[in-house]
Amino acid sequence: MLTWLIALPVIAAAIVALVPGRVKELHLPLGVALAVLPLALAGYVFWVFEPIAGYQFVQQAVWYEPWGISWSLGIDGVSMPMVLLTAILVPIALAASTSITRRTKEFVVYTLLLEAGMIGVFLALDLFLFFVFFEAILIPMYFIIGIWGSDRRIYAAMKFFIFTAFGSAVLLAGIIALAVTYADQFGSASFALSDLMNVQLSTGAERWLFAAFALAFAIKVPLFPVHTWLPDAHTEAPTAGSVLLAAVLLKLGTYGLLRFNLSLFPEASVDAAWIMGTLAVIGIIYGAVVAIVQPDLKRLVAYSSVSHLGFIVLGTFALTSGSLQGAVIQNVNHGLVTGALFLLVGMIYERRHTKQISEFGGLQKVMPVFAGFFLFMIFASIGLPGLNGFVGEFLILIGSYSTLPALAIVAAIGVVLAAIYMLWAYERVFTGVPDKEENAALSDLSIREISLLAPLAILVLVIGLYPNILLDKIAPSTEAVLDHIEEQTEFVRPEPGRLGDVLVAGGDHE
Amino acid sequence: MIEITTPDVSWIAILPELVLALGAVGVLLVEVQWKPATRVLGAISAITLVIAIFFTFLQWAQAGDALEVGGLDELVAFSGMIVMDGFAVFGRFVLLVMAGLGLLAGWRLVERLNRRGAEAIALVLLATTGFSIMVASNNLVMMFLGLEIGSISLYILAGLTEEKTKADEAAMKYFLLGSFASAIFVYGVALLYAGTGQLEILAIRQFFTEFIVTRPAVILIGLALIIVGLGFKVSAAPFHSWAPDVYQGAPSGVVGYMAAMAKIAGFLAMARILLTAVPQLDDSWLPVIAGISALSMLVGSTIALVQSDVRRLLAYSGVAHAGFILTGIVGGATTGMLFYVTVYSIQLIGAFAVVAVVSGPSSSGSSIDEYRGLARRSPALGAAFAVLLLGMAGLPLTSGFVAKFGVFSEAWANGYGWLVIVALLASVISFAFYLRVIVAMYMEETEEEGIVVSLAARWVLTIAVAGTVLAGILPAPLIDLAADAFPL
Repeated sequence: MLTWLIALPVIAAAIVALVPGRVKELHLPLGVALAVLPLALAGYVFWVFEPIAGYQFVQQAVWYEPWGISWSLGIDGVSMPMVLLTAILVPIALAASTSITRRTKEFVVYTLLLEAGMIGVFLALDLFLFFVFFEAILIPMYFIIGIWGSDRRIYAAMKFFIFTAFGSAVLLAGIIALAVTYADQFGSASFALSDLMNVQLSTGAERWLFAAFALAFAIKVPLFPVHTWLPDAHTEAPTAGSVLLAAVLLKLGTYGLLRFNLSLFPEASVDAAWIMGTLAVIGIIYGAVVAIVQPDLKRLVAYSSVSHLGFIVLGTFALTSGSLQGAVIQNVNHGLVTGALFLLVGMIYERRHTKQISEFGGLQKVMPVFAGFFLFMIFASIGLPGLNGFVGEFLILIGSYSTLPALAIVAAIGVVLAAIYMLWAYERVFTGVPDKEENAALSDLSIREISLLAPLAILVLVIGLYPNILLDKIAPSTEAVLDHIEEQTEFVRPEPGRLGDVLVAGGDHE
Repeated sequence: MIEITTPDVSWIAILPELVLALGAVGVLLVEVQWKPATRVLGAISAITLVIAIFFTFLQWAQAGDALEVGGLDELVAFSGMIVMDGFAVFGRFVLLVMAGLGLLAGWRLVERLNRRGAEAIALVLLATTGFSIMVASNNLVMMFLGLEIGSISLYILAGLTEEKTKADEAAMKYFLLGSFASAIFVYGVALLYAGTGQLEILAIRQFFTEFIVTRPAVILIGLALIIVGLGFKVSAAPFHSWAPDVYQGAPSGVVGYMAAMAKIAGFLAMARILLTAVPQLDDSWLPVIAGISALSMLVGSTIALVQSDVRRLLAYSGVAHAGFILTGIVGGATTGMLFYVTVYSIQLIGAFAVVAVVSGPSSSGSSIDEYRGLARRSPALGAAFAVLLLGMAGLPLTSGFVAKFGVFSEAWANGYGWLVIVALLASVISFAFYLRVIVAMYMEETEEEGIVVSLAARWVLTIAVAGTVLAGILPAPLIDLAADAFPL
């Protein structure tokens, strides 16, 4: 079944590719319709997903025996939300791409291939397979930015590709080193995650490998100081590209850190927790401060991503039950909210052909629905209680406080800063009187656009009000990660565990 | 009556070469006698290649049988001159397939040469004969003969078009530097002979297992010269400076073939000498090869960044690839290297087939500007070139990735982790220039309209792209084959 999750988008891409180029207007709707199929399947997986630790729906087929590589897929509480998120966002991103009139067919094909790759990354349980997907994603994304981006698209695409390819190269070195060590110790080759977790590494080797993996994923996240590709890529990419980049591609980094760094190198993870945490917090503050002064709306959202992703990395390396759950759910939250924000920015860009904040003003009056959605997503982004951002950041901050207290306190400043840059941007764009002629004549969102945003808004609300719909399924898997770390090291996770316990236990302490 | 005892000759060991040489002569004679249409000559060469390939299958079977019963002697023929091990047979097979693809890719050129087309075909077959002997030789002098037969044919091919002075310049350069390199190689052979008293590769290995050489200076100098000579043929840095000029100047119809042939034969010969003849000296040569490898990768990929001509770009990328392939030899195994050489040759011939389509089969030079908007002018051609370039870059799901992964793993397992890291960095640098061509094809516009892709070029590209993707997704059969094709 999991293979179908990857195969469906590929088949969809093939079908779209076979449709003759003459019927231009057919490509996009067909792509959207076909992209609903993986979504349905992902929804089914979510429905039957058991809230237990370990991988489910595992599939395994030998790929090449002597090298120990296999097509092995599985899903657990860490990857399931990401797969679902990907499947939800792809049809929405495609449907939002009506402004792409040039080479539409190629665009749909690349997007669907991108989806297959992204889902593959989250499902792969074999490091070789993981790497194949991890790197293969670059190609469709490169084309999406480079062909349909704005003015400096080629520069941005190249920068994106080279940065991430550099990370991949380091990752590949790490994977090869790990696999060679495994072959030395066990006498047979294997790239399976479950096998490689048994490798006995010296402290030095483990730290080197941790660094290699961490660098690759840090570039993807992106973590300060390797984040410089992100604002360019985001700003130049077309709307759908930005949405998928922010919502899913960045998560490959945080997912990789959680899945591979913590499981494969527990000792080094515990030792390096404060380093990663510090970098994350620098990212939180730095991203927020830079976002405040951005004159470009899209760049502002991009830098807000740097800031929000910092929270996720902090939560990952705080190594507590709450912070890990928070990190996973915040992956989803950030995907939904930032995805929606990029969609919104794209919609206003289509109308005004500018993203400069100073060009706008008073849009509230002329586009009330648009303003409403924007404000809603801003509130979700800055973590208003009742919306999903609150759940994630709260879990992360509370969870991190018990192991990395100083960092958690500094990170909390980031929440305040987020309120500043977001609300200030809102104020400049939406409040006041529409003094520019072009602004006064803008039309509000169409039904089509509302129907794209509404599902995201509903999900934001649902997760905000009833986070256990996801947390119940996430928790066993994140607990398993912590169990593994406790087995391998002297690290003991601080009690308490779950969200409810956090609140109760927090009260007890005082 | 006097009975003449004829020596027991194992003809099968050289049957492919015999067929090739006869085919080359046949093409020339038929041309002189009947002056037939070029198509007829093409058919003759095709039949020649098919028969030769058929004989490699026979050889493969026989080599396998001989190994099972342990009869190593059966595999050495012509008083130790020729060896018929899996390595040789695999090499021959690849050479023959590449010769077929190369002819197909250069077919427009052959047609355009009119009456001289027969020469081109004969030269291709002769070059294949020479390189085929080279990979199958167990004797260093035999190897030199093969090298020369192959190289001299290539020098002529490089200057085949008479109207182009650039091609003449390229041919001249190739000839002068190439014969210089051959001389260095043969001097190295002489010194190796002086040091060990042996010319046969298996005998040299025997020599080192029996004796411990206390003063190996002569042997080492000989070995170094051999490495330099072969390093030139495969265009490894710092012996690469001829490659960009030759690739740029020679008619595009033959460049892919030329480059692929010299690389296959050169690497196989190098692997045979280093891994079969002198494995005991690996303390001495491993660091040298590793150094050449690292230098090639870095020089090739950085200089390629600033090239504005696609052929020069491919030449420097070839230098980088030479470095990557050498990491396989540093890994001390031939499997990864054989796989790499095979898939890279296919990509190379495919890439130059695209160049021949875009700039014309007898052209010299191919500015990157000519590729602007190629994806729109001909979506299939653009996509094919993109796949081949991504394959060379080593992106997953292409054969290039599997190839790199294979040689890097071998090198890492053999204790050359630093080389693998250099190689990975070089790969990242190389992405930049492969992508530049893709940028031009996909992200830049042009006024030019459609482009005609000949049927032969379509075939070559279909095979090259299918091979690149297939070997990237299902590499197992080819790797298994390469693993069985170890040298004696």
